[in-house]
Amino acid sequence: MNKLEIRNVSFIYGKGTPFERRALDDVSVSFESGKITGLIGHTGSGKSTLVNLLNGLYKPHGGEVLLDGVSIWDKPSEISKIRYRVGLVMQYPEYQLFDETVRGDIGFAPRNQGLSESEISERVAEAAKFTGITDEMLDKSPFELSGGQKRRVAIAGILAMKPDVLVLDEPAAGLDPRGRREILGGLSEYVKQSGITLILVSHSMEDMAYYCDNVVVMSDSKIYKAGTVDEIFSSAEELEKIGLDVPVISKIAARLKADGFNLDGKLYTVEGVKDAIIKYLGGSGR
Amino acid sequence: MISDITLGQFFPGNSPIHKLDPRTKLLLTVAFIVAVFLANSPLAFFSLFLAVLTLVLASQISFKVILKGIKPIIYVLIFTALINIFMTRGEGEPLISFYIIKIYKEGIIRAFFMAFRVILLIIGTSVLLTYTTSPISLTDGIESLLSPLKKIGVPVHVFAMMMTIALRFIPTLIEETEKIMNAQKSRGADFSSGSLIKRAKALIPLLIPLFVSSFKRADELAIAMECRCYRGDKNRTKLVKLSYKPKDFLWFAFGILFISLMIALRIIPQHISGSISEELFNFLFFKI
Repeated sequence: MNKLEIRNVSFIYGKGTPFERRALDDVSVSFESGKITGLIGHTGSGKSTLVNLLNGLYKPHGGEVLLDGVSIWDKPSEISKIRYRVGLVMQYPEYQLFDETVRGDIGFAPRNQGLSESEISERVAEAAKFTGITDEMLDKSPFELSGGQKRRVAIAGILAMKPDVLVLDEPAAGLDPRGRREILGGLSEYVKQSGITLILVSHSMEDMAYYCDNVVVMSDSKIYKAGTVDEIFSSAEELEKIGLDVPVISKIAARLKADGFNLDGKLYTVEGVKDAIIKYLGGSGR
Repeated sequence: MISDITLGQFFPGNSPIHKLDPRTKLLLTVAFIVAVFLANSPLAFFSLFLAVLTLVLASQISFKVILKGIKPIIYVLIFTALINIFMTRGEGEPLISFYIIKIYKEGIIRAFFMAFRVILLIIGTSVLLTYTTSPISLTDGIESLLSPLKKIGVPVHVFAMMMTIALRFIPTLIEETEKIMNAQKSRGADFSSGSLIKRAKALIPLLIPLFVSSFKRADELAIAMECRCYRGDKNRTKLVKLSYKPKDFLWFAFGILFISLMIALRIIPQHISGSISEELFNFLFFKI
């Protein structure tokens, strides 16, 4: 079932001023539940704008955002309820932390939802578990933590709302490889267990290829291409045509193929290429 | 969106006003402000209006933008105009008399001209300065105009640098505020409803991150400046030296002429300007 769908959406920044700029132009796309959908595109291709439309921070100038088939702007006064259902983690979310303790900060959204104290602490504990926040950290001030830890607290703050759809704008930007793996791994684990829809905006093709099921490619305020990871990354030339990179491992596989090695399979993750090479060599693996 | 605010924003362009030396524009602005407060007769207001119209046309800034700049003060204007209408006591019979409320002709005249004066003041100064002068050249101009004060030990350069930085970071702060507001709204924060106390409390999740990031940014900026060996104006040279061009003198001449005109209109015997005022008022409000 398609939980979140956008239909013919347009958005213009600074409408009616000399700085008018079209950020989205008649965009339609749907996001499957239980899957991780990656959103890639150049800086300024409209990714972040799209993300802000999904939970009603921006109102589209044309078209509709549909959650379970109902436009989220049907009842404008209840838009905050939509925001609990479509959790949005913005870029560099560590800048939004404010509470005295990590616990209080993660509990901010559930408290706004009007939950009871026992429910709040339950949700805080659960969100902390998925993001790898220890009990000891929960009672610290968020300003004492390291950058990567702050990022996790911010993500936990959204997870604590138990959203049906989770949207993350560059959740791993500026983190070291280990931090990336921990955060993205934790999130994909969460999707598997809860069956929610996850939308992941990223510049890292490696992360996309590794974690996502589907990929939406944006270019020049429009959807350039949408499909499964297989479909998108098997046409590397097309991605390169709009100035996007492909995973390094895909480039290696392409060179091998050009040199006459007839590889076949998922040539965009390290594992996939490894399997393909083993298959080509006719070996059993060891 | 908050970023829609245009008051005090620079619109890059290539108009005659954009090309003027910032010092010329600063001095003309001072002259203009004096002129606005000198004006007390319809004739003077009419000349002011013409002057502002000329400036707007010369600056090639669209009327839409200018109207938008006035929007934020519209309520202040209405409020002061109403006070003027109700509180002014004139000679002769009041136009409307209702219990203690008495509205005199003089009150309406005064309210009208007061509002007109404020609107002209805002349009004139923003067209002359903020819309057409980049913050950097503006502070360059201020620094250059105030440089005689250096001799008596006033740290003019430091003030100018502080102003440049402050102006430079206004858009950044607005952007940052919007970003944090959106982040907290995504967590169900509500900034626009509830009682006054509730709203004030709702600002905490906005203000704390804003302060934290501002201090951090200031610290980073200071370090970056020190890395580039910034040490105030000791032996500092300028990339672009300000110099007056013939067109600057032309505008100065206009400015002096205009100020003289305004002074002349001011000292013209009151009964003459008064009767013109009366006629114009009658024409404006009762003939139409």
